[in-house]
Amino acid sequence: MKCLVKYELLKILRKKSTLIIMAASLLITAVFFGLPVIQFQIYNQDGVLKGLGGIRYEREQYADISVPLTDEYVTETIREVQELFENPDNVGYDGNEQFLIDDAYWEEIAPREDLLNMIAANYAEPNVSVGYSSLTELDVSGGTDFYQAREEKIDKIFSDPSREISEEEKAYWQNMDSKVKEPFQYGYFEGWEVIISAFELLILAVLAICIVIAPVFSGEYQAGTDAVILSAKYGKTRLTRAKILAAFLFGILAFTLHAAVAFALPLAAFGTDGWNLPLQINGTTVPYPLTFLEGALINVGVIYLVLCAMIGLTLLLSARMKSPYLVLIVMVPVLFIPMFLAPNGTAGVYNLLIFLTPYQSLIPGFGKYLSYQFGPLVLDAFSMRALVYAVLTAVLIPFAGRGFKRHQVA
Amino acid sequence: MKLQLQHLCKQYGTKKAVDQVSIDFQPGVYGLLGANGAGKTTLMRMICGVLNPTSGSIRLDGKSIRESGERYYTHLGYMPQDFGFYPDFTAREFMLYMAAVKGLDQKTAKVRTAKLLKLVNLSDVADRKIRSYSGGMKQRLGIAQAELNNPDILILDEPTAGLDPKERVRFRNLISDFARDKIVILSTHIVSDVSYIADIILMMKDGKILLQGSVTDVTDSIRGKVWEFLADEREAARYSRTMRVVNLHHEGKQVRLRIVEDSAPAPGAQNVEPSLEDLFLYHFGGNGQSERS
Repeated sequence: MKCLVKYELLKILRKKSTLIIMAASLLITAVFFGLPVIQFQIYNQDGVLKGLGGIRYEREQYADISVPLTDEYVTETIREVQELFENPDNVGYDGNEQFLIDDAYWEEIAPREDLLNMIAANYAEPNVSVGYSSLTELDVSGGTDFYQAREEKIDKIFSDPSREISEEEKAYWQNMDSKVKEPFQYGYFEGWEVIISAFELLILAVLAICIVIAPVFSGEYQAGTDAVILSAKYGKTRLTRAKILAAFLFGILAFTLHAAVAFALPLAAFGTDGWNLPLQINGTTVPYPLTFLEGALINVGVIYLVLCAMIGLTLLLSARMKSPYLVLIVMVPVLFIPMFLAPNGTAGVYNLLIFLTPYQSLIPGFGKYLSYQFGPLVLDAFSMRALVYAVLTAVLIPFAGRGFKRHQVA
Repeated sequence: MKLQLQHLCKQYGTKKAVDQVSIDFQPGVYGLLGANGAGKTTLMRMICGVLNPTSGSIRLDGKSIRESGERYYTHLGYMPQDFGFYPDFTAREFMLYMAAVKGLDQKTAKVRTAKLLKLVNLSDVADRKIRSYSGGMKQRLGIAQAELNNPDILILDEPTAGLDPKERVRFRNLISDFARDKIVILSTHIVSDVSYIADIILMMKDGKILLQGSVTDVTDSIRGKVWEFLADEREAARYSRTMRVVNLHHEGKQVRLRIVEDSAPAPGAQNVEPSLEDLFLYHFGGNGQSERS
């Protein structure tokens, strides 16, 4: 069996097309995940700092704000901003909103603008985008309960009729949310933010892998080698399993290589800082009690399952179709049409199905409160996706094997 | 060893590619002769278990090959017509791969591979990619892989197609070497190939076995129907248009014609010994493609 898997892997790896597709796909992945590094820029009073220099500067700025976000710290921070706005010399107005200018901005706001925006967003209505200037509207004379405000915002999300969140779902999310540790530890997490916001770009790696393995069965039919191997002792038994194993082995190794590139570039440039920080500092209403590393790994796990199901589907089509091109005619739309099917909410069968498509399943959506209810059972998006794609993989593989075994040489 | 085909049929829509074929194969070389589309390849694919019959059964020593599964395939070596190779594999890798698919252990696989590559005269180029091989080299590699498991049943579908005369002679000798104590079923539409090496001729037409027997037996069926005579060139042209002319040879201003017809085509035409080629022409028409009206 090992010998058969080795030769089946060799068949995949020896093809020039495999090398070309993998090289192109890795290059594109590197560009996608390297662009945020190349394009990174940050401003200070002296001008703009770009690339690695800018990243270094930003990380230095975070040294002072890598603190636990206690109510006292948040109250003090809001007061500082409000005091700055009290001096008319510090304030500018663009006809729409007020903002701080000159030293007040560059020295007091710019180094911690992300933190201030995050605090401001915690007090804003759901789905309303606000900046640090909205902190002036808060009454913190008697202090503030940052985490109470967070809970209230989450309650508003639950009571939003457009979300159609049931009592069971609400209980599920509240139970999950109760495990979120307070106070949040703030800090630098740019590298993880880049990774988390670009996961869906790995769909290209999935496609590249599907292209490479499309000929696993259909290539034999096309080349006319099917008759020889199917009339050999293990042609319909061990060889079928070896082909499936080799395809999975290749797919998983190739994807790991892509994932390594996707992780390595941002983390090498921005640093691994933030791996142990809670996801909530990138959006306070996130209910998952996870760090950035945990969140990223769970999503990668889901992506591996999506990949396995797509490999399974490719193999099934490959076993049933006469040519690898026909396989791709099906696979390309399966992977890419969902890119253009934008969900218009998080409720309803259409949206729930869209969020289960391969492309959407690559996007973590930590703060979306996306859940699937089956009677009393509630599953969050990660669990549901994991379940769907694991079941799909388990169903598709035997059918792929059976398709090859029953293939008629004609 | 006895391979039995019992009322074997393969139907595609309304077309019967193989129609009620029943044959008992014992060790020996069987030449399956027929025009293109006669059903030879379909029959061979069914024997090899890569195409299910519509009805009928194939049994090896009394046991259905469907029930035997892997055990049946250990007895089988198959060289399909125009089968593909893996162009990025070397001949040695291809042989070792096929040996693994055939269930040979690695040590045996290496020994058999080396022996067979030598036998088919590919030892010197065994580590060259198959993409660089000529048609003849690929054919030789094809028969070598079929022999890897030293099968009891060797099925060769048009093994000499596309080979030059020298390669064909070499190939026929190879097949003869491999054929000892085996059931060898060899299909071709090149009559001379089977006439040299086949013990039994099976003539197929429209999916049915038309004739079955030794070369002498089957050619006897047209004894008294093969004629030779001399004619002038104008008459020869007329005979070519209207009769089944097997051979046409210029002798000075006259032409010696060999014709297969039920009755004498011309006064003075003499009966001669029938050959397989005559038989083929008798049943399949002038160019070996069209059928006898």
